[in-house]
Parts: sequence; structure tokens; C-alpha cells
Amino acid sequence: MIRKRTPRIRTNRKKTIRPKKRKPLINHPEPLVSIIIPALNEKATLPAVLREAGRVHPRSETIVVANGSTDGTPDVARRLGARVIWSPDPLGHDVGRRVGAEAAKGRALLFIDADMVIPAWQLRPFAEAVLEGGVDVALNGYSGPPNRREPHPVVVAKHVLNAWLARPDLRGASLTAIPHALSRKALQTIGSSVLDVPPLALAAAVLRGLEVRAVHTVQVGRLNPRRRRKGCRDLLTSLVLGDHLQAIHGLIREKGARGGYDDLGRLRDKVR
Amino acid sequence: MTILDDCAIRLGDNMNRKGLRRGRPESRAGGIRRKRTGHGRIPPLSQRAASDETGRPGWMETAARKAGFTAGSGHAASRGCGTTFREAFNDWFSAAAESRKGGGTVREITDCALAFREGYSAGSGIPPKEIPLPLQRSASAVVTASNEEKTLPLVLSELEKLPLQEIMVVLNGCTDGSLEAVFRHPRVLKLHFPERLGHDVGRAVGAKAVRGETILFVDGDLPVVAEELAPFLLAVDRGTDMALNDITPFLPPFPQQDEVTRSKTLLNLLLGRPDLQANSLTAVPHALSRKLIDAIGTPALAVPPKAQALAIARGFEVTAPSAVNVLRKNRIRAGNTGAGNAVAKLIVGDHIEALETVMQMKGIRLDTTRLSRSELAKARNAR
Repeated sequence: MIRKRTPRIRTNRKKTIRPKKRKPLINHPEPLVSIIIPALNEKATLPAVLREAGRVHPRSETIVVANGSTDGTPDVARRLGARVIWSPDPLGHDVGRRVGAEAAKGRALLFIDADMVIPAWQLRPFAEAVLEGGVDVALNGYSGPPNRREPHPVVVAKHVLNAWLARPDLRGASLTAIPHALSRKALQTIGSSVLDVPPLALAAAVLRGLEVRAVHTVQVGRLNPRRRRKGCRDLLTSLVLGDHLQAIHGLIREKGARGGYDDLGRLRDKVR
Repeated sequence: MTILDDCAIRLGDNMNRKGLRRGRPESRAGGIRRKRTGHGRIPPLSQRAASDETGRPGWMETAARKAGFTAGSGHAASRGCGTTFREAFNDWFSAAAESRKGGGTVREITDCALAFREGYSAGSGIPPKEIPLPLQRSASAVVTASNEEKTLPLVLSELEKLPLQEIMVVLNGCTDGSLEAVFRHPRVLKLHFPERLGHDVGRAVGAKAVRGETILFVDGDLPVVAEELAPFLLAVDRGTDMALNDITPFLPPFPQQDEVTRSKTLLNLLLGRPDLQANSLTAVPHALSRKLIDAIGTPALAVPPKAQALAIARGFEVTAPSAVNVLRKNRIRAGNTGAGNAVAKLIVGDHIEALETVMQMKGIRLDTTRLSRSELAKARNAR
């Protein structure tokens, strides 16, 4: 009689931990797409973000601008194969993006955040619009949380800036939101330093006649981590509103005190 | 007067006023008020000075109606030889305000004035045309009109119900019977320009010409009943420098708003007055104080958002005391309909000009944070 062998659980054996097979990023020597990721203490999400970045385009480079990190973010980025630009002081998202843009070699510059994992298929449209679609500034079509009776101040500012730039079709799309992509031509036309103030960069791009388009919508509102303290959120709102003021000032500098809008023949000299 | 009579008047009055205030979102206002009193509890009469959302009169209104009735009966008995209607109201109001320590909100005072007039009308049998308002300073009205012969008489007859020192009509570019319409109102002053002055310039010209301490601005093409104009006069008379029309209740939600409305909202936001929402000097009716006009200068009034921005930036008191639905009544003309129309572009340009002016005063970033991006990044990362 054949005895059935009962499977025995061998508790004394050492567990084998298989290291996850992760292909390191390959930075192409002559990239078409540069993916720029500012990171400040984002060790937790960075591996997933880099994994998705690596799937965007076969000829790409990934630049992590590790600024002010104290949690080993630059080491993680380096180990995973990204080009790392390191800064001891925090730069903020916008300056981080500018620093990355200055180091980038690709024809299309794709900007994402290190704290938000966006799948590669959601990122490709931005790179493709620049590489193949003739777009200079490819924006995320996300216009802020919809159908709120009282919208967030920043949402109002984005909509109004686009309307004042005679681009109401862009609705609330903005360079303040990621993902977005710039062409090398856009970078050369508006200059990299203006990227420090994203709404000003958008205004400059529209005013210089670059091809600005909302190419794809990624619902970043839902992906945005809800962990920021209220006081900081208010400060950020204030900063972004100030940025929009600078953009409006750019419009004024370019087109005059009324931003190029006439006043339908007001006889102003009749009142003194 | 029996209680029944009183109710009948009240009811009639209510229906009448509802008819005039078409489109006033009672439910929204009601929702806000109900919250304040808590759990749907209706406060006792003694706590409600003016009528609440149910249309029931507050104690002060009831008192005003009674006082009006007494004054009206006295007037009938003395065959019109006693004190005038306006004097009677002012006497009663100053006494009532003293006992209450302050007169309440402009809305409450207006309601009291209307209740007094109602009572007076019932007591004397002669309905007074005038609305008595306890104004401490002189008040003028400025009406701008170009080719408004149909609506101008209505506008003027409503203004004549208010205790105004002068009514100034600025006629410009009129080719119809507007001028004749003004001649039929002997009290009304006029300025006449053969050419069109352009948007908002007429108001600035009128502001320069009148002498009142409080100046009410209305359009010749937009008749607004005197009851709805009163709160603006009262607000400025009691210390506000700029009393704007509160158009918030009549606006669609943000996604359906046009660029003009959004521009107005943004201007207030950037000037640090998010509470003003889309309320703007571009909309009529509104009232200004002489003090404000002297400070910012009449030319600024030709570009309303600029005047508003200057007023806020210089620390004047800007409020929106009352809501008149002008969006529905606005005359539709060629050039003011559709997105991106000529008037919309004009108003957009006005807002940019307004910001340009305050940027010269306060710097490009106005009063937004001076914190650097680096410092902000540090603050945000410190969890």
C-alpha cells in the first residue's frame, strides 16, 4: 500500500527572500526625452516614480533633483540608475524643475513630481505631443476639482490668467500642475530662469507665440497626498497667487497697462 | 386697526415685495440664517428686529408700523398741518435707535422704513410716495443714460422716492427722447453731452458734478425700485466708503461662470478680499462716499475696477450690503452678449489696468507671501 505523503511544513528552514527584480534605469547617452523629478525626502515613493519614468520612452534620461533631503533620497535615486543633481538646501518644486531643465539633454523635457506615482501610459502623451505633435508646451488638462460652488483661489487664478492671455480654451491648465512637458525650442525661447515662476513661464510661452496645448488630463487632484498642514497650504496658495501676479505683470510689460485690451473709445479727457 | 387688517397689509406687502425682488434666492439666505439660530428654532419676537425668512415681521418692524399708523392718523386729524411724514419717521427712528443702542443693519432699517410707511399709509389713508430714511449726511444720485427714453422715466421716479438732495442725469450721445424724458422731472438736474462718453465715464463726470456726501450710482437702462436702492445709501451714510451690489446669490457655480465674473473674483482675491467674491464696482447700483472719491480722484471712477482696487489698497471700507439682481434685467445689446464680446474685453482690460495701478503702489506681488521658495519647501517638508 502506497502511503500518501502529507506535505510537511518545514519550519526550521530559512526563508528565502528573493530580491525584487528591478531593471535599473538606463540613461540614454543621446536622449530624446528628459524626465525631470525634483525630490525632497521622497524615499518612499521615488522607486515607483522612477520605475514608471523608465517606461515612458526608450531613448530617455531621468534626472532627479534631490534637494534638501535628509532621508537618503539621492542614494536611492543613484542606486536605481537616475542622474542625480544634489543640493543641500531645499529648492522647492519650481526651482528644482529649472535646475533639472538646465541639465537636461533631451528634445522633450517631461516634468513630474517624486511624491506622486503616475503610470507611464499617462505620461507618454506629454512626451509624444512634444516629440511628434509639434507642441512646445504640453500641459495637463486638469483644471482643479470640478463643480465646487466656491473654487480654490489658485483655480480661479489659473482660469483667469489663461482667459486674459486670450487662451480661454486652456481653461485651468497651468505649468504649476504636473505632468507637463516642454520642447527644447520652448526652453530656448522663454529661457530656463523663468521656470522659477511657472505661471510667468506659461504667459511668456503664450505671448511669444509658442504652441501651448492641454494634451492629456491626469487627475492629479486625487493623487496629491493629503498630508500638508493647513498653515503651509495657505502659504503655498499665497505663493502661487503671487506667481500669477508676476505673470499678469509679464502680460502688462509685453502689451501695455491694459494687457492689450482697448477701452471701447472712452473719452477719458472729459473727466479730470 | 385690527390684527386682521394688519395681517392683510403684511400679506399684501409681502406679495408685492416678492414680485419686485424676483430671483432673490430666499432658500440660500434662509439656509444661512437658520444655521445661526440653530436647529430650526425660530427665535422669539424680541430677538428679531427685522423680518426673518418666513416673512414674519420683527419687533422693530411691528413697532415701526404701529408708529407709522399713529403718525398717519394724526396727520389725517390735523388735515396735513402737523409734522411731515419724513419728520415723523425721523423722530420715531431716532428715539427707537436710542433705546436699542444703534439702528441695526441697513436691511433692518430699510424694512423699518417700509413698515413705517405702510402704517402711515393705513393711518392717514394717503399712501406717501417717499421712503423715509434716517440719513445723517446729504445724498446725491448719478444716473447715466444714452438713449434710454423708455426706462429713464422709471429710473427717475424711483429715485424721487428717496430722500436725495439732488439727482443728476448724465446724458451722453442721446438721439432719442431721453432729454424730453428728463424735462418731465423738474427736480432732476442734467448734464448733456452730444457725444457718447464711453463706458463708465458718465458716472465719473456725474460724481464730479454733484455735491452730496453720499453718492448713489444707477444706470438709466436699469430701473431698480427705491426699496432696493435704500440699503446702498444707508450703508455709505453709516460709514462704508464703497457699497457694492452683492451679486453672489445670482451667480451660477464656478464652472459655468464667464471670464468677466471670474476676473472680478480674482481681483478681490488678489487684493486680499476673498469675502467680496465677484462683487464689483462695474455693476450697478452702488454708492460711494465723497471722502473716497476725493482720495482716489474722479478719473479713477471711469475704470471701475481700478477705483475698487485703489479703495481696497488704501484701506477704505468696501462692503456689499445688499443684493439686487441686475444680471437678469440687463438689456441685451449687440456687443454685450456671448463669450469674448467687446464689453467683456473692455472689462478684462479694466481689471488688468486695476492690477497695474496697485502694483505700482505695492510692488508686483502685492501682499502675497514674501517667503522664498526654499523657505516654503522647508516649511512644507517639516511634517
